[in-house]
Amino acid sequence: MLRFIPIPAQAGISGFESPAAEYTQSTLNLDELLIDHPSATYLGYAEGESMVGEGIFSGDLLVISRFEKVKDQDVVVANLNGVFVCKKIDKRRALLLSAAPGRAPYHIREGDDFQIEGVVIRSIRLHRPLVKSI
Amino acid sequence: MYALCDANSMYASCEKIFDPSIRDKPVVVLTNNDGCICAACHVAKRLGIDKKFVPYFKVKEDLERAGAVIRSSNYELYADISQRMMDVCSRYAPNSHIYSIDEVFHYYQGWMPPEGWFEHARAIRRAVWQEVRLPIGVGVGPTLTLAKAANHAAKRIPGYRGVAVIDDEESRRYILQHMELTDVWGIGSRLARRLTALGVDTVWKLANANPGWIRKNFSVLVESTVYELSGTAKLGWDDVRAPKKEIYSTRSFGQRIYTPEDLLQALTQHAGIAAAKLRRQNSLAGAAIIFATSSPHDNQGYYRKHITHRFAVPTEDTTVIAAACRSALGQIYREQVPFYRCGVGLVDLSDKATSQHDLFNCSVDNSELMACMDAINVKYGRDTAHIAGQGIRQKFAMRREFLSPQYTTRLSDIPRVKC
Repeated sequence: MLRFIPIPAQAGISGFESPAAEYTQSTLNLDELLIDHPSATYLGYAEGESMVGEGIFSGDLLVISRFEKVKDQDVVVANLNGVFVCKKIDKRRALLLSAAPGRAPYHIREGDDFQIEGVVIRSIRLHRPLVKSI
Repeated sequence: MYALCDANSMYASCEKIFDPSIRDKPVVVLTNNDGCICAACHVAKRLGIDKKFVPYFKVKEDLERAGAVIRSSNYELYADISQRMMDVCSRYAPNSHIYSIDEVFHYYQGWMPPEGWFEHARAIRRAVWQEVRLPIGVGVGPTLTLAKAANHAAKRIPGYRGVAVIDDEESRRYILQHMELTDVWGIGSRLARRLTALGVDTVWKLANANPGWIRKNFSVLVESTVYELSGTAKLGWDDVRAPKKEIYSTRSFGQRIYTPEDLLQALTQHAGIAAAKLRRQNSLAGAAIIFATSSPHDNQGYYRKHITHRFAVPTEDTTVIAAACRSALGQIYREQVPFYRCGVGLVDLSDKATSQHDLFNCSVDNSELMACMDAINVKYGRDTAHIAGQGIRQKFAMRREFLSPQYTTRLSDIPRVKC
């Protein structure tokens, strides 16, 4: 379990007490919905507009998995010369592709410090900013 | 077979996970309150700046010259990374036993990995690197002591590159012949000197020594080590896990403390921390050692004072231990002393389950209240509920000048990714 939120977020139908309440199996838990491999999953904030074509806007929350095998054209987080970047990876041509009009691809050259850090498996739009509780 | 998975320079490696800009740099981590160096990454070790437990101020300039990155201990981060490492490692074995924040033992009973022990160990190492970005060493052997020896080989003997397996006579001989006596689990430097004096001056000789003779001259423990080194398992989890015999909570202050109120608050906080640890291992404390000192580096005379407070009935109750601190304060506190450090040690521990009741002295412990407080603090974080005596705003909070963000445990500290 990711332990950054002290209380698991839960979504359920409420309003009147259901006669079937005793048969409820379990409430939904966002961790379970969004995270497949908790010990290999990390969160990051997106900063910048170069991935809007993939639906990732500045300020979105990225769910990054280090468990997944990286496939061609995956949206990944990589270390490029000491900075975490979020791009699409073109494995065959060694390119980092943006997903916004007018952005040139970045060609990974020898001498670049480059490692893929994980695959972006979900992104979450924070329509209102996160409120730090407690 | 057993395996030991052990992180390389755990704290320094943790600092590199979420800060790619320092991955190739020498990184050193300082102890609580930025006092001493407690961990150095391999780059720093290669540069010779891994002065473990040397006070930071003494090597500050050397570190600067070497371009070292300094970090304060970020236990919130290390604890989270540790748990991830343990999760990944324990996928690979039917039984595992967490030995410390950066070490976990596996026990495979009769099971054999179809891909062979070496490939199996490599797979663990690769998975932890891929999923957690933590470099670890893995050692495999037929006893706990040999697994520990293989782990030593994995990290220290050239050619092994992070993985070593002792599964036949040849590998056992090679690894043991390349170790020093003090590299063996349970052999300290004093024991090594005594062994050498009696002619047992190599690990290989120790492994082939007569166990009875060793027991006569040393102890049952060293005898077990001999058996274990020759491949006969003598130690189990319980031998390596014995509950702590004493529990200390102690820390130096971020700034000097001069008033009795502040000192009492600090002591009370330590009473709370130590008592919570005590309850976690289901023990009772027979006595508390309550102490405070000035800094040995201050130029006015060094002051230290400790009080041992014996409880009428062994206790686990924070309020009882805090009351002992209050009654000791008068003897510990002295005006004009710049207090630098204080702490509470709980000693003479006994098992709560087998405690004897006393006809004349009744325990005043409020176990239900303590259980409730512990439950709140587990759920909502340490110090959510505490006794009022430790104060609400603390002047003596730790100094952590070079603290990295708590990348995985705090919403505001989640890493930023450039898009």
